[in-house]
Amino acid sequence: MRLSEDQARELAARAVALTPADEAEALVMANDVALTRFANNRIHQNVAEEDTTVSVRAVLGTRTGVASTNRLDDNALKACCEAAVAAARVAPQDADFPGLPAPAPIERIERVCESTRGFDAEARARAAAAIIEQSSVRGLSAAGAVSRADYAVAIVNSRGIDAAMAVTSLKATVLSSGTDGGSGWASWLACDASRFAPEALGDEAATLAQRSEMPGSLEPGNYAVVLAPEAVSDVLDFLGYLSFGAQAVDERSSFTADHQGERLLSELITLTDNALSAETIGLTFDFEGCPKRRTPLVEAGVVRGPVTDSYWAAKLGVPNTGHALPAPNPYGPLPMNLELAAGITRVDEMIASVERGLYITRFHYVNVEDPVRVTLTGMTRDGTFLIENGRLTKPVKNVRFTQSAVDALADVRAVGDRRVLVGPEEGGANLAPALLLGSWQVTGQTR
Amino acid sequence: MRDLVMTALDAAASAGSTYADARAVLTTEERISVRTGRVEGIEHSESLGIGIRVIADGAWGFASTSALTPDAIRAAARQAVAIARASALTAAAPVRLAPLGVFDDTWHGPCRIDPFAVPLEEKLALLLAADEGLRSHEAVTVSSASLDFVRVEKVFGSSEGSMIEQSYVESSAGLVAYGMADGEVLPRSYPNSHGGQASQGGWEAILALDLLGHAPRVAEEAAALVSALPCPTTTTTVVLDGSQVALQVHESVGHPTELDRVLGDEAAYAGTSFVQLGDLGSLRYGSPHVSVVADATVPGSIGSFGYDDEGVPAQRADIVREGVLAGFQSSRESASAIGRASNGCARADGWNRIPLVRMTTLSLEPGTWSFDDLIADTDDGIYMETNNSWSIDDRRLNFQFACEIGWEIKGGKLGRMIKSPNYTGITPRFWGSCDAVCSAERWHVWGLPNCGKGEPMQVAHVAHGAAPARFRDIQVGVGR
Repeated sequence: MRLSEDQARELAARAVALTPADEAEALVMANDVALTRFANNRIHQNVAEEDTTVSVRAVLGTRTGVASTNRLDDNALKACCEAAVAAARVAPQDADFPGLPAPAPIERIERVCESTRGFDAEARARAAAAIIEQSSVRGLSAAGAVSRADYAVAIVNSRGIDAAMAVTSLKATVLSSGTDGGSGWASWLACDASRFAPEALGDEAATLAQRSEMPGSLEPGNYAVVLAPEAVSDVLDFLGYLSFGAQAVDERSSFTADHQGERLLSELITLTDNALSAETIGLTFDFEGCPKRRTPLVEAGVVRGPVTDSYWAAKLGVPNTGHALPAPNPYGPLPMNLELAAGITRVDEMIASVERGLYITRFHYVNVEDPVRVTLTGMTRDGTFLIENGRLTKPVKNVRFTQSAVDALADVRAVGDRRVLVGPEEGGANLAPALLLGSWQVTGQTR
Repeated sequence: MRDLVMTALDAAASAGSTYADARAVLTTEERISVRTGRVEGIEHSESLGIGIRVIADGAWGFASTSALTPDAIRAAARQAVAIARASALTAAAPVRLAPLGVFDDTWHGPCRIDPFAVPLEEKLALLLAADEGLRSHEAVTVSSASLDFVRVEKVFGSSEGSMIEQSYVESSAGLVAYGMADGEVLPRSYPNSHGGQASQGGWEAILALDLLGHAPRVAEEAAALVSALPCPTTTTTVVLDGSQVALQVHESVGHPTELDRVLGDEAAYAGTSFVQLGDLGSLRYGSPHVSVVADATVPGSIGSFGYDDEGVPAQRADIVREGVLAGFQSSRESASAIGRASNGCARADGWNRIPLVRMTTLSLEPGTWSFDDLIADTDDGIYMETNNSWSIDDRRLNFQFACEIGWEIKGGKLGRMIKSPNYTGITPRFWGSCDAVCSAERWHVWGLPNCGKGEPMQVAHVAHGAAPARFRDIQVGVGR
């Protein structure tokens, strides 16, 4: 059983009081998480963890230091606070440091579901069994995980911030594989476990696996592509990380630097970071205890942003959007709850409009070749199909792409009418629809 | 911590486990980072807890906690057994572990100068000076420098009677200068990218890197990259530096020969492997120049230990011998599936994670070439240094890597600089094209403290010995 919100808040306040500095901030993260993993149609790993970590930021003038511990006795906590002060003492002054942030109203959204908190080892095992059955009865092999997260976060600082929130989520993934090279994928993520239908999830992956058997070859080249939401979410992750944080914009490593207010992407693209959406999960304040603001990043193709935290807001002279990561962090503030505005096109309508192209279920092992143009390389996985004359005609072996996301999102032909919540359950997730893109560069294929 | 482990083992047995092991781990870390003249962070952290792994009803359960009272540990042990019984709902056959002896031992990694005892001021001064050196050229407008020290103290005990105490210190450092041009960000790193070089050892390992001495050269190369040639799109001979060969070994030999991947246990997340169980002793993995060993006894490597996290002694095992698949990296459970003993590759990322099959120090054995002779022997090609991007498919066949910097090779000489060269290939075909590996003179152990695997995610600290090597008929300039 993890600490409650109030217990986490009390612990954070205790750490602030124990820190002999000009200003102090304490971040408490209390986790009770469990994950049931299966492969080859059986549960093979099944784990649980309880932990509480206190992270203290001490401020002496404009010098800061950070220390953290998960030892919560008085001596260990005091030593942690003193270590933060010792670090601050040797740090040079930072003329841009504005001091710790002051409190601001935080929107309260209930994101704890008892159904999820109670989703115990037996419930997870039964869910895994239901997923597995959908593959095993068809002669397929299922692998995946059912994971439950239940955590409380509290942030207290000496300027009066006193924020706490508890969050639950349930996530399930399934890969269904056949013996003839076919595989299918499905995933589910939500706050409320009572809405989870494991049989349907298992069926979705197994059906896709059957459909993708005996995949064929594909020549490299540029193809129109329909990206399913999970693939779109991967692209959004990189776009958010590389392009819409204040540090990247300030360092001129973002394609948006010096171009805010210009239309650089398709008019069909409207991208927002919105931790306050009723459809998403995660915290409504950032890791400084500041409210997460709904932040437009792209409006009808016109680039906006970036997201900020207290440091970067002061440095750039713009509002604090509430996107701080735990201090210290080398990335600056980042968007964690991206949502791409839905369009009006169904996926079958997208496919019907393509003369020759690809349908891609998801990507694998994507990495960055050029951070400015967000040029990514990676593989497709678990359901890649050739589209010919408006129909999915045959599965193809996984292909490698090397493609600028900026260029691809400048040529959007349609946006899906239905969005899916995709992502890690901790810290946030993306709301992504399917996309039809005019061109996607395939540069290779696996055997 | 021995008492904590004994409490856990007793409680697991009382709850009905047929096998149990427990690991109490204290990890202490200090990280200092500087970016473009600003101290980005000075952070001290510690994490202490216990993980209890059991077999009950023939299935696995694991529970971990940072609450270390006897009652909390007993509750975690009971939870582990309850989880195992839930796992048994889908178990087809009971878990079997390869046989193992009983060990009561201690092991300590090398450390001459305790980095935690070196004054913070001294460490910070080094970083700030190195960072300043990185910005000695006006084209470098962004720079970063970091130091990271980790101390791990752990006690492993098992219901079979083993009790093992181990401790080690890791020290790492890295510099990056970014050449910034219109629409381009061109990093140049030292001693390696992605956090630098990591070793088992103390402050002496940092001093040996001579960060200050290298910073101006790194800055010059970053600045020169701005006006360097783009990588041509062609098929040519490629010579890779040792650090890039190390990553190539990691991705295209290390992961595919992890036995749990071969058996399908990682299918949904990291993927499986093109290597099949029946390939042992027959699969032509590469040319006769390619011999790869897994060795957890290499001194000073972050892939070394006395015992793995199942209590199996550190050892050296052939993985590829003169181009032919010779072995897998294994744990007790995966080794049992093929009727062998574990070769000691089960490692866990802290007290709150189970051991998985992980690399130790997986190395390409040195060849006979001097680097100068290798370049002189190459009529036309590209020499590439320092990884910048990596990607490989879920069966570890199709890969694409980009490096920070390259140079033309023309008529046996290094020529003009090339920015961001990349190359792609298919694993066995690529290793089959290797026709030369440099000698021990250029062979170096590269620490990679960022290997991700598993759910929940685990980050392993592994290492690879490698020297520069040459590969023929490689596709470069992909997607350009």
